Formats: sequence, C-alpha cells, structure tokens
Amino acid sequence: MKYEVRIGGKTRVVEFTHNSETWRISLNGNPLDADAVEVATNTFSILLDGESYEVRITPKPDGKLVVSTSTEEFTCEVADPRAWRGRRHGAMEAEGRQQITAPMPGKVVRLLANAGDKVDVGQGILVVEAMKMQNEIRSPKSGRVERILVSEGQAVNSGDVLAWVD
Amino acid sequence: MFRKILIANRGEIAVRIIRACRELGIKSVAVFSEVDRNSIHVRLADEAYPIGPAPSRESYLRIDKLMDVARRAGCDALHPGYGFLAENPALPRACSETALTFIGPSAEAMEALGSKTAGRTLARGVDVPTVPGTNDPIENPEEARALAQRMGYPILLKAVAGGGGKGMRLVSNDEEFHSAFRDASSEAMNAFGNSAVFLEKYLEKPRHIEIQILADAHGRVVSLGERECSVQRRHQKVIEEAPSPIMTPELRKRMGDSAVRIARAGGYINAGTVEFLVDAHYNYYFLEVNTRLQVEHPVTEQVTGLDLVKLQIAIAAGHRLPFAWESITPRGHAMEVRLYAEDPENNFFPSPGKILSRRAPSGPGIRLDEGVYSGWTVPMDYDPLLAKLIAWGNSREETIARLRRALEEYSVTGIKTNTALFRRILVEPDFLRSEIHTKWLDEMLQRPHATSDSNSRAADAAAIAAALWHASRESSANAQTPEKSSPWKMEGRNRLLDRTP
Repeated sequence: MKYEVRIGGKTRVVEFTHNSETWRISLNGNPLDADAVEVATNTFSILLDGESYEVRITPKPDGKLVVSTSTEEFTCEVADPRAWRGRRHGAMEAEGRQQITAPMPGKVVRLLANAGDKVDVGQGILVVEAMKMQNEIRSPKSGRVERILVSEGQAVNSGDVLAWVD
Repeated sequence: MFRKILIANRGEIAVRIIRACRELGIKSVAVFSEVDRNSIHVRLADEAYPIGPAPSRESYLRIDKLMDVARRAGCDALHPGYGFLAENPALPRACSETALTFIGPSAEAMEALGSKTAGRTLARGVDVPTVPGTNDPIENPEEARALAQRMGYPILLKAVAGGGGKGMRLVSNDEEFHSAFRDASSEAMNAFGNSAVFLEKYLEKPRHIEIQILADAHGRVVSLGERECSVQRRHQKVIEEAPSPIMTPELRKRMGDSAVRIARAGGYINAGTVEFLVDAHYNYYFLEVNTRLQVEHPVTEQVTGLDLVKLQIAIAAGHRLPFAWESITPRGHAMEVRLYAEDPENNFFPSPGKILSRRAPSGPGIRLDEGVYSGWTVPMDYDPLLAKLIAWGNSREETIARLRRALEEYSVTGIKTNTALFRRILVEPDFLRSEIHTKWLDEMLQRPHATSDSNSRAADAAAIAAALWHASRESSANAQTPEKSSPWKMEGRNRLLDRTP
C-alpha cells in the first residue's frame, strides 16, 4: 500500500510492505525502523526509531485530516495513487465478472457474504486484518457472489484471489 | 440537612453538584432534555427526569417543569448551577412558593446586585470605586474638563446615544479636552442625531480580578481571595488562576473588604463573586456581581482547600460558616483552562459530534471537571464546554508546567477541541511574565503564529498515521452508520415524556 501524504506543502510517500512476519513502513522509499498501533479510535501510537508519538486524526468536512501529536498539529491531505478498493460512493461500478484480490497481506477475520448472495456495489464481502486494522473488502459491482475462495482465519498474501463476483 | 436536591442544570456543573451531594449523603435528582438522555449527569445522578425538547427555553429554562419534577421526586432543595436560570430571580421565587430551598441568594439580593446599574449604585453607596465617570450628558464642557482633571487622564468621551465607536474620543491630557469634546459631539450628532456625550475614565490594559465571597444566614461574610481571569476571548474567560500574579496581601485585603461590603449591602447570602477591573496602578473598580457559583470556582477550591458546592449547600441549610476570613490564605497556585468542543483554526466554530475516544489527563496536581465520555455525542444545542482542566502546584511556574503536561496527555478524537489554543498561550512570554490584560488574547490571536514544522520527525509520524487512517477509513466509516432506536426504547421515552406536562 502506497500513499502520498501532503503536509504544509511537503509531500511524503508512505508505503506499507509485508516482509515475512512483519509489516515494514517506508518513507519516501527509505525503510524505517517504525511500528504503528491504533490504540484507540483514530488514535495511533507510532514508534519511529524509538521515538514515541501519539497521533490523533480528526477528519475535516473537506476531506483533509487534522493530525495532531501531543504538541503539534498538522493538516494533511492523503492521496492513494493505486486505489484498489471498490469505491464507497460507487460512481464507478465495475462491469463483468470481477475478481476480488487481497490488497495487502493479512488475515481474513470475517466473511460478510456467502457464495450465491446478492450484493450491491460497495457492499462488504469480507474483512481482512492487516497492521492490526480491519479492512472491509467491498464488492466492485452489484451482482451475485459467485465463489468465496478463503475461509475465516486464513492468512492471505497481497494479490491472492479472495472471491469472484458476477 | 437536605435529603434530596434537584439539579437544574446539565453537563460538567451538574456532575460537580452530584458529586457534592453524594459526599454529603444527599440524593441527587437530574433533569434532562431529549438530547441529553445519554449525558453523563443523567447516568451519575440518583434519579433523573425528562423535561422536554432540546431547546433550553423548552426544557432547562422551564421553571414550571422544574417545579413539577421537584414536587414529584420529593426534593427539598434546588441547585441552579451556573447559566440557564441561575441568575433569574423568578427561580428562587418559584422555589419558595414550592417550599423548596433555593441554593443561592434570595431573589431580592439577585435584583439588588445582579444588574450592572443597580450594582454600581450600590457599590458607590458603600464607597467601593466604580469606573469613574458619569452616565449623564455633559452640559458644561468646562465643568467636564475639571472632572476629567480630578479623575486623571486618560479619559474616554462617549456618545450617550452611541455604539460602535462613533462619537468616541480618547483624551490623554487637558490640552486635548476641548477639541476632542467638539469632535465627539459633532460626530455623535452626525451619527445619532444627538450630540450628548458623557465621560468615563479610560482604563489602560485593565486586568480582570474577582473576589469569591461566601455569606451565611447568620451575618458572617467572608472573602476567599481572588481569581484573575484576564485571559479572555471576546469578553469570555478562557484561563483563570489564583492567586493573581500581581496581588499583594494589602491589595487582597482591600479588595476583599470592598467585596464583603457590597455583599452585605445587598443582603447577600451564599456563594457569589464580585468582579473588578484593576488598572496598571493597582486601582480597582467594581464591575458587577455574579450571584451564583462561577465556572472557575475550582481554582479557588484548589488554593483554599474548601469545597464551595458543599459550603453552598450547608449555607442554604442554615449552617454557620465554620471559619473566619482571616484564616484563609491561598496556598500554592492553581490555574484552569476551559476545554471546548470548538475549532481554534476555524474561527472557534463549535464542533459538536460523537467522541470516538478520549483519554483524561491525571497525575500530580491535576483535576478534571468533565461532563463527557467516550461514545457520547456532544449536542449542538448547548454551550460546548467539555471539561475544565485545573492544575495546581507550589508556584505559578510549576502549575503552568503541569497544565502543559496535562494538555499533552489529554486526547479526544471525533471532535475538534481548543487544546491547541492553550498550547499556544501557555508558552507566550507575555503570559509567562503575566503581562496580560483583558484584550491581550484578542490581540495575540490577531498575530500570525508559527505553524508546526512540516519537516519535523513529528510530521513523519503524522504522515504515517494519516496514511494508516486512510487505509482503514472505509471500515471505520462503516462502523459509524447511525444506530436505529429500538421500539421499546422509544416507548419508554414517550412514557417518560408524558409524565411531564
């Protein structure tokens, strides 16, 4: 997963990659000694080369984020250059038979639909947990779940096919 | 002592009063509007009753509904808190008709001291200085100039009919008086069709210092010392502290004495606050009396070790104050900040909404008087005060350091709060030296301020958190779909509402 984060005119590229057991975070292409945990809703504990930051996120109506540490406050804009999920406000509904793949390595924690179920565009099909966060994988189109190829508790790698929707 | 007290308020002050009741073994009765069913004061009270729709004029300001709840719940006293009906003489009147003890002054004392003009007249009557000047128009400019001389420059000429700065002139010496008078009069004539002007002493950079008093029903009136509340935004207090950094024992004695004289003259009983402006030469001028418990009362509690709410209840129950004025000297230093659900970056616009998470500061020298919890939705119908964070320490420096530390610990997500404002104020050199006045904060907010360094390591951490949040936003957005009310819950609510006419 790769994101462009703009803070005060400066853009950072934040990338999360999976490396055997653990997640790696890199900043502008440089791997970091970093660890991140969402300790409470919208509150992240970030250890950066041993420095401890507690970071709180408050989304603004314009889509920007107010991001505050215990002493600083930033306004951030996040762009997702490789948008991989079905759009929540489904203006762009996919057509034809769709393959749903894991956007990141993680673990399937919950199935929200079964094979044969009718689903709407944007409806959750399953939940994959990665980086201690749960991500709902949504249907890219309205249709019927043709197959689900994973089960709850199963580990998946980035790009693994999870389900088919037609 | 009372058996059951009705608390005619909501939010943190209702919680504060519930706590006092519980410590005294008195049952507490809360009231709530439709949007406050889930509020913390309802959860903490012994009993709670609905009093109507969200707008305060249909709920918290309805004396008839309050009296009805008091009767049905069998209350023997009522505490008004602050705001809402706390300074409305109709409330103590209604209480006495309902055989309910009002925890506060009598309606007559409220009227004698509560209004600005009545209070000023009363203060002058007991030789307490008010801002010098006259509300009557100047008829003879030469006499007016003589008066200005006696009061001492600078003075302000103001249009009687005026407002908005029109017909107003600042006069800094005797030579300027006549031309300024002509200008002000003609400007007033042009603007308002009335050339009458009056004069008032101009206070340069005044500080707001107030005296907390307590008066029992047996004639004892004591001063608990001062609080300084000079840090104000548009006349609203933002930070309060005690003692005032400019106070001397001698000035404290004189101001306390003035406050006690005013309270006695007004026949005041219970807790009250006498507000003064203090100029650069330590002259003080009576401003007004707040005939109720103040928002900032914890500051006085921390430096005196007294519980003002319990004392209010004891006084209302007819008890004697158990201490003499002379025995009260402030110990250490206390400072309070008012945490609001508002956005300092967006013109202090209120920021109601659901509190997704919250961490309260704690540790040495920290007190948090709070009316919120994680998962609660801050309603948009009332004052957005979330909490009062109070720090105390051996010195002002230690107190400020603790307050800064506690603000770093305080964490709320889901809504914006004004904590960034305090982070800024609490490092301002003027504030640290206490070179402040009532317009100081408004002036400070006009100045551009350094934004956080976007090249810092903290910004790296912020970027990582922002990206992580973005990665998980759809699942969290999904978790926020509005819950449907269950039918039995609505049924229960409707039944409760039916019980209150």
